[in-house]
Amino acid sequence: MTHLTMDQLLSLREPGSEPGAAAAREHVEACPQCAAELDRLHQRVARLRALPTLRPSRNHWQAVELRRRRDIRRRRMRWGGAVGLALAASLAGITLAGSGAPDTAGAAVSASVASAEAPAVSEISAVRQRSQALEAMLNVYDPENRVIDGHTARVAQALEDRIARVDEELQSTGLEQDVPDHDAEVLQLWRERVGLLDALVDVHVTHASNVGL
Amino acid sequence: MDPSFVADADAVLARARTGDAAALESLYRAFEGPVYNVARRICRTTEDAEDVVQETFYEVCRSIGSFRGDGSLWGWIRTITASKALMRLRRNKYRDTDELDDQVTPMRREDTALRMDLEAALERLGETSRAVVWLHDVEGYTHEEIATMMGKTVSFSKSQLARAHARLRRWLGEEVPA
Repeated sequence: MTHLTMDQLLSLREPGSEPGAAAAREHVEACPQCAAELDRLHQRVARLRALPTLRPSRNHWQAVELRRRRDIRRRRMRWGGAVGLALAASLAGITLAGSGAPDTAGAAVSASVASAEAPAVSEISAVRQRSQALEAMLNVYDPENRVIDGHTARVAQALEDRIARVDEELQSTGLEQDVPDHDAEVLQLWRERVGLLDALVDVHVTHASNVGL
Repeated sequence: MDPSFVADADAVLARARTGDAAALESLYRAFEGPVYNVARRICRTTEDAEDVVQETFYEVCRSIGSFRGDGSLWGWIRTITASKALMRLRRNKYRDTDELDDQVTPMRREDTALRMDLEAALERLGETSRAVVWLHDVEGYTHEEIATMMGKTVSFSKSQLARAHARLRRWLGEEVPA
């Protein structure tokens, strides 16, 4: 009598009906040796499942968190640069519209809109530049590669989380340019971002001076 | 898994999706054990498994916003773990040592002193075979799912499983005398 191969025995454990499974099942019912083999296979799998859960020897969260923070900061800086370019383009557009032919009604409307929007837009531009300067300062300081105490780390983390939330709001606000008071809202968010970045720089610089770095 | 996480899972998940660091850390605490276990069972060394743990949770932090809750959170994290571990196997290009094992003189059934325990036998399997055994028999992935994760065919997965079981049976001294 030809006994079942390991392939055939394993196919009996698969859900549904594999080709040839019916014949293999019939064989197992008639062959005590293959029935014992199938039983051993079941037992082996059960023993594999019962093997103890292995545990890591050390905590890896700090390394994951460090990498995550670095990633957030890189994205934030890239995003800040992209928004800067977009704002520069919109400012250039307004300037061009304002200097267009004065004898058409459309140009007059553009000029009046430009004069109304220009202060808000130029203020956004100034706040954004301050934000970039602070980001650059943080980049030079390189907080991820410095040893900081737990309290400083928690405060810095909370500030970075708030900055990330402001960035999210800025991103969603950027998609809703037709909303009334859009520029005022954007300006407010950029001011909030600068305030938080200022605090973050303070936290790191104060800590560095306290420990004499 | 951490019982406090289970009790508060939905709230932690909602906060983790917003990038809340404390919630992400709770996810790490709840799943670090199971993630390490899968990684260690697939990878050859503890160092590789620990790297896989870091890569897995970094990916979880990055992608948690895209987890829609169609399946279980553990199922989603486990698939990331398995993919990262298999990627590491490919990167390291370990030599599949079970090819050599074929040339080792088979142990006799009655030679109980030389009979391996299951843990040692599993460790002795080649990388690919061990990964297939673990993913199929313990974690419950289908051959189709394993084939997709490994970038191989379904029949490759099936034949790896059959070869692995034939070896385990021999090394564990379970062969029935003809």
